Amino acid sequence: MFCCNIFRRYMKRYDNIVVGSGISGLTMTLLLAMNGRRVLLLEKGTHIGGSLCRFRKGQLSFDTGFHFTGGLNDGGILADILGLLGLRDMIEPLFIEDSSENRFIFESTGRSFEHPVGFANVKARFREYFPSESTAIDAYFDAVQSVCSRTPSLNIHDNLIAPPNLEEDYISLDAVLKEMTPDPLLRGLLSGYAMCYGVRPDEVSFANHCRMVQNFYESIAFVRDGGDGFIHAFKEKFKGYEVDIRCSTTIAELAEVSDSRVHRFVLSTGEEVSADSCVFTIHPSQVLSLLPEKQYSRAFASRVNGFEPSAGFFSLFARLKPGAASRTKSSIVSLFPDPDVNNLLDPEWGGTPALVIITSPDAPDPDGGKGICILEPSFPRHVAQWSDSRLGSRPEGYREYKERRVSAIREHLCSVFPHYLEGLEILDAGSMLTYKDYLNSPDGSAYGVKQKMRQFNMIGRLPLHNLYAAGQSALLPGVIGAMMSSLIVGRSVLGKDEYGRFLGRAA
Amino acid sequence: MTEQEIIDRTNKVFEESFEIEPERLVPEAHIFADLGLDSLDIVDLIVALQTSFGVKIRTDEKVREIRTLGDVYRFISAIKNGGQE
Ligand SMILES: Cc1cc2nc3c(=O)[nH]c(=O)nc-3n(C[C@H](O)[C@H](O)[C@H](O)COP(=O)(O)OP(=O)(O)OC[C@H]3O[C@@H](n4cnc5c(N)ncnc54)[C@H](O)[C@@H]3O)c2cc1C
Repeated sequence: MFCCNIFRRYMKRYDNIVVGSGISGLTMTLLLAMNGRRVLLLEKGTHIGGSLCRFRKGQLSFDTGFHFTGGLNDGGILADILGLLGLRDMIEPLFIEDSSENRFIFESTGRSFEHPVGFANVKARFREYFPSESTAIDAYFDAVQSVCSRTPSLNIHDNLIAPPNLEEDYISLDAVLKEMTPDPLLRGLLSGYAMCYGVRPDEVSFANHCRMVQNFYESIAFVRDGGDGFIHAFKEKFKGYEVDIRCSTTIAELAEVSDSRVHRFVLSTGEEVSADSCVFTIHPSQVLSLLPEKQYSRAFASRVNGFEPSAGFFSLFARLKPGAASRTKSSIVSLFPDPDVNNLLDPEWGGTPALVIITSPDAPDPDGGKGICILEPSFPRHVAQWSDSRLGSRPEGYREYKERRVSAIREHLCSVFPHYLEGLEILDAGSMLTYKDYLNSPDGSAYGVKQKMRQFNMIGRLPLHNLYAAGQSALLPGVIGAMMSSLIVGRSVLGKDEYGRFLGRAA
Repeated sequence: MTEQEIIDRTNKVFEESFEIEPERLVPEAHIFADLGLDSLDIVDLIVALQTSFGVKIRTDEKVREIRTLGDVYRFISAIKNGGQE
């Protein structure tokens, strides 16, 4: 005991530790710091930001895991969250304004469906596209609104409560759509945004689909400087508070456990710190591996080990040469070779994969070239045979796999947009293994754990009671879901009353 | 499924998933006070019961009313034999 006490005198003390510095960790850190907490933010990578970080190829910047978002319109949930954190003026949305800039092309029929801006306008346009299905379309959009209005945590001005269980939490998107319409094309269109959360329509609950897509129907925006715009804003904001950031640092050991609490945190640098609590925003399996085995039940372990990965992407990062660039507006174009999104998000699917083609609104390079990113859904099994290899030392077979994907994607793209044949210069490509290494994730999936219907996520307090889990796998994925998880879990860390006072001050 | 089968299989979940000695598994045992589960364990209990019985359980009021091991038996029996979810 005596030796412990001496030790403790030299141990740095924080109120809270936050592990992982993606959008979830940044949000959690700022929320706690704004409430007077002294926070230590730990990041395994060499810099903060996680999926938000951009990278450069030649003269162009490319996004890792944040391209666009909904919810930045006035009254939108992301605008509200940024307002709450005092970041709204620091992040500049670049809204998609023309419906042609966001469209889904169903290749088997040759039909292209544009998404205008605003919930009512999307609904009206879809009714024009499918005149005989107007009842189904009305029912769908009414249901989306109804689910969201019955999900209190979507109104961040309220002192949040955990998402409720609605009837719609127990029925799949696929089942609801099949009930609404016999038209497979319409079903494909209404489930197209599943690409933005990486779960098959027959596996995701209708309620979670609604919670994630409502924002997209209202507005879609890029952000000035992409994810770097967020990182920069958080960094600026941290300056006003007691936040210590350590990169290339993780927690090596949760030591001195008593009364179901951790009293000493051993860092990978050897340093030891104490803190009232610690919030993990990393993948649930990585949290599990840190918990001392005696501290959780087998049931807990088997639940966490049972989580499946969401879809990931094989990505092409390319430059549109000046001629092609001048003809291409910033846009999001989704190519669906099959109208059934269940197939497009099925790891076993043997047909041509979908593509999501994102032309960024960044200024062109000095020669007039523009950055374009092409994402093809991918799954761990595609790269399983090389999963032990590391960046920089991949086997030959892996390189061949990448080359095959690159030429297949190029061919697919050019079959729809022939002018890309000459106009596209491929700069780089990344597989799920690339994402796995860059994002320090166990599988390189785009959205963490697959949000399956009836699943119980790892969220909030953990079996050791001063440890918490938040992050994209905790609630819903994407930047919005990740930030919401940090508000909900942050409320538990701060306590309902203190969080309520914070909401009051921010209002 | 017979009542005894439900009892046996439920007890097995407590033994295997929560490492609780079989002699403590009596119907009147309070799952929190006597068996040492905590409110956070409820989710894991539900998932383990779902897997073991091949049923789908909702986290609604009925789950929150569970206090004793006997309540768990009755809860499962209602789902398994009552035809409700
Ligand atoms: C290709 C791709 C495209 C996407 N496009 C979009 C999009 O357009 N819009 C959108 O909203 N979402 C998009 N997403 C999803 C979005 O990026 C994520 O849902 C979100 O950014 C996740 O944030 P996070 O903080 O939970 O996790 P992450 O961003 O993964 O952050 C976790 C951090 O923890 C660090 N870490 C890991 N282990 C440890 C450890 N042991 N100790 C310390 N630190 C650790 C990691 O290095 C990382 O920095 C995309 C994802 C991908 C991959």
